[in-house]
Amino acid sequence: MRAMAAISGVLLAMALLLGQAVAQDAPDIDPRLIRAADEVALAYMVTGDAEIDKASEAGLRGVSAVLAARTSVEPGQPIGIDPEIDDLSLLTFLYWPVSDMQAPPSAQAYMRLNHFLRSGGVILFDTRDGDLAGLGAPDMSDTLRALAAPLDVPPLAPVPPDHVLTRAFYLLDDFPGRWQGRPLWAEAPPPDAAQTEGVPFRHLNDGVSPVLIGANDWAAAWAVDDRGLPLYNVGRGWEGERQRELAFRFGVNLIMYVLTGNYKSDQVHVPALLERLRSEEVIQ
Amino acid sequence: MTRLSFDPAFGWPWIAALGLLALAVAGFALWRGMRGWAWRGIAGLVLALALAGPALERGTRAALSDIVILLDDRSASQNIADRAAQTDAALAALERDLGALPNTEIRRVSLGDDADGGSLIGTALTRALAAEPASRVAGIIAVTDGLAHDSVMIPAAAPAPVHILLTGQPGDWDRRLVVEEAPAFALIGETATLRLRVQDEGDVPPDIRGRPLRLSIGLGDDAPVDYEVPPDRPLELPVQIEHAGQNVVALSIDAQAGELTGLNNAAAVQINGVRDRLRVLLVSGEPHAGERTWRNLLKSDAAVDLIHFTILRPPDKMDGVPVDELSLIAFPTRELFMERISDFDLIIFDRYRVRGILPPEYYDNIRRYVLGGGAVLISAGPELATVESLSLSPLAPILPARPGGRVFDAPFRPELTDDGRRHPVTAGLPGADGEDGAEWGRWLRQVQLAPNARGQVVMTGSDGQPLLILSREGEGRVALLGSDQVWLWGRGFEGGGPQLELLRRIAHWSMKEPDLEEEALTADVVAGLNLRITRRTMQPAAGPVRITGPDGYAQQIELTEIAPGRFTGEWTAPAAGLYRLSEGDMRRVVALGPAAPKEFQRTVASGEMLAPLSDVTGGGVLHLAEGQPAIRSVAAGATAHGRNLNGPWIGVTPRGASTVTGLVQSPVLPDWGWLILIAALITAGWLAEGRRRT
Repeated sequence: MRAMAAISGVLLAMALLLGQAVAQDAPDIDPRLIRAADEVALAYMVTGDAEIDKASEAGLRGVSAVLAARTSVEPGQPIGIDPEIDDLSLLTFLYWPVSDMQAPPSAQAYMRLNHFLRSGGVILFDTRDGDLAGLGAPDMSDTLRALAAPLDVPPLAPVPPDHVLTRAFYLLDDFPGRWQGRPLWAEAPPPDAAQTEGVPFRHLNDGVSPVLIGANDWAAAWAVDDRGLPLYNVGRGWEGERQRELAFRFGVNLIMYVLTGNYKSDQVHVPALLERLRSEEVIQ
Repeated sequence: MTRLSFDPAFGWPWIAALGLLALAVAGFALWRGMRGWAWRGIAGLVLALALAGPALERGTRAALSDIVILLDDRSASQNIADRAAQTDAALAALERDLGALPNTEIRRVSLGDDADGGSLIGTALTRALAAEPASRVAGIIAVTDGLAHDSVMIPAAAPAPVHILLTGQPGDWDRRLVVEEAPAFALIGETATLRLRVQDEGDVPPDIRGRPLRLSIGLGDDAPVDYEVPPDRPLELPVQIEHAGQNVVALSIDAQAGELTGLNNAAAVQINGVRDRLRVLLVSGEPHAGERTWRNLLKSDAAVDLIHFTILRPPDKMDGVPVDELSLIAFPTRELFMERISDFDLIIFDRYRVRGILPPEYYDNIRRYVLGGGAVLISAGPELATVESLSLSPLAPILPARPGGRVFDAPFRPELTDDGRRHPVTAGLPGADGEDGAEWGRWLRQVQLAPNARGQVVMTGSDGQPLLILSREGEGRVALLGSDQVWLWGRGFEGGGPQLELLRRIAHWSMKEPDLEEEALTADVVAGLNLRITRRTMQPAAGPVRITGPDGYAQQIELTEIAPGRFTGEWTAPAAGLYRLSEGDMRRVVALGPAAPKEFQRTVASGEMLAPLSDVTGGGVLHLAEGQPAIRSVAAGATAHGRNLNGPWIGVTPRGASTVTGLVQSPVLPDWGWLILIAALITAGWLAEGRRRT
């Protein structure tokens, strides 16, 4: 009996310890991240370069305002993310301006980023050098390569003209930001994804490209101040304002793509599905 | 048999060389005029011969007995009427007669039922023939009803006459039910066609032949329905398949007096009900982080046709962008919610808010659709607690809960309720109750819900508030998930949770997937006649299962609870047949084994399958009812059966086979004999030469 009592005492102590462990296991969650999950707040990578971070914040604020005004998506205030401390699994979209000021994230941060990419998150890398790249001048491609090397990035290809990004909300044939004409890169379609006759989209599964890479400095084109006025020049005159409008439209398409995946490319099939329902009814 | 053999001590070339040497020496001696040349030459040749080891070989032979293979069929069909006694009598007489033949052995081969049912006469014959030397087999006699179930295994030829002695009486007749064609699968709600025939065989009495008979058909546990049908005509029977999984159609005809057996008058056909592709209409009120979760789930399901609409732009927002620069299409609400609504198996409202897109009568139509057997799943965000709530639409009467107007923002861990542990939608979800040390990740907000009496709360969230509520409304089902954050599980937040599995089960439960029914009685055939009975219930206890079967069989099986709401029991059926299981209101019909065992499909004795073999070998097919055949010996190749004044006779062909029983090898001369012979020849040569000198 005494042995039994002793054992049950030990068990009780263990249970208490376990209980404590469980209790400790539920840490408080950063309220900003809760807000990100609740309100689909857009997030940007904090690079440490104050100018860039300010532009990112203002840019996401601008595109969030456009989304709220024109679509049923009403994002909350954008949040800056430091992958060293923040849990990325509450986020949906991360804007990552490439800057050589940024210290490379630690291995732990890369683990978080990779988990984010694998579980359905999307990162938009913006090298912001669309005015320089390709001219032979020093550009950001080396920095981007160094930052993205530890990430699980699938094979990329320039976005084809039938990509769902070109028609997720607006019809677009280019994705301008502060610069334009530079290609946007996304996950390459699988080699066996043949184009079906009469269907302008490839039959892809709902896998959204986890990584998008471009150089058009979108945040600058989207950026607005507290009064809602643009912060940066885009192009010149009326042409420039048109480019800014198209940049916002790209922002809307981008967020729609991130949230709804291939919804728009599937909608092409809806009339056919409805037609099939109708014809089956006739047969019966 | 005697013959000379050699066992050379050296290789033949050496011995030949020795012989040549001896001849050469003798030739040389002759040339030199030596008188002993012949003796010496012969001595050399004899030496060569001795080394070649000549021996005499003598064999002994023995005549072998003839073998007659006597095959008796003891399969179940041989027990019909007086066939067993008939077989015994015939075998006793055959053994006596064969035993009287000189130098004849009998090999008895007794054939029982095969494990799969059926008489494998062909296999038995092939084996018996393979086991005996073909040169000794003098005859094969099979006492059987001739109904082999392995006709392809019947050998094409045999080394001796094959006689088939058929049991049964000349007036035998039988009526049986034959299922000529039955689909193994059929779509639910559609008609499957069975093709049947009532077959008469043998000498059917004139008052029964061609007269209509009664065929009774029972689908599942419905009461059987009787029809009058003509015999010997193909019948087409349409069957409406009502539910998924196994549908058992039990068919039977009345047994007639005088027919051989009533065991082949019933049949059970199992048709697997499969669902046509499920059509799911997903309506997202706004693009949000969890929307792709639904798309991933429904698009990865090959059985689902997904029609998805998202409100990308509410009617109250305009941006002045020309229509040709927009990629928006109109939401065909009238077509979806009024005209085509009955085509959908499930409508999912994903964070849908009432914002003037659907007129009230459309919601009313959705309500009618649910009451008439449809399904609605609501995955609600905070909008359910606002003035744009679905609970303020005409859909409200069928919602299983009323929103309380509050949104709980504190992180919480979803938990199963006691009902949830029993309910198939949530029971056994991986990681429930912290099993395997893994805990589900937390969700961050939910809507306050006040469930009504019909709603069954299976999951709770913040402070035990109801989170997932399932309910049945009319013929249909409604599920309400009070949070839009199930996607956090998919993202792996705090380890995540079984997001896809939970959503899949909720969706499929709504669509009445039989595996997810709360109250179910299932029976799985484990092996042969062993059955595992499972009773799933939301009740705390499940009573014993009553099993009734053919011939008044009745039994009660106690069930034991192996998991909350799951009770199982094991049972072994005494014989193949159709069994009815019942517990409370739950019923189940199981067909175990073939309803009419193979042995009793055809019962009228017939030699047609074995006749070709008999003909090829010169044997005969005889009916025992016409008299026990006598046995005589005939020459091979002659006709081996016939009939004389005393009755029929069958012949065996004595083979006169023999075998070599021994072999004796004796040397022509012993070694010392050779030595003396050679010594004597050499001495003679020496003496002959010596004499010349003297």
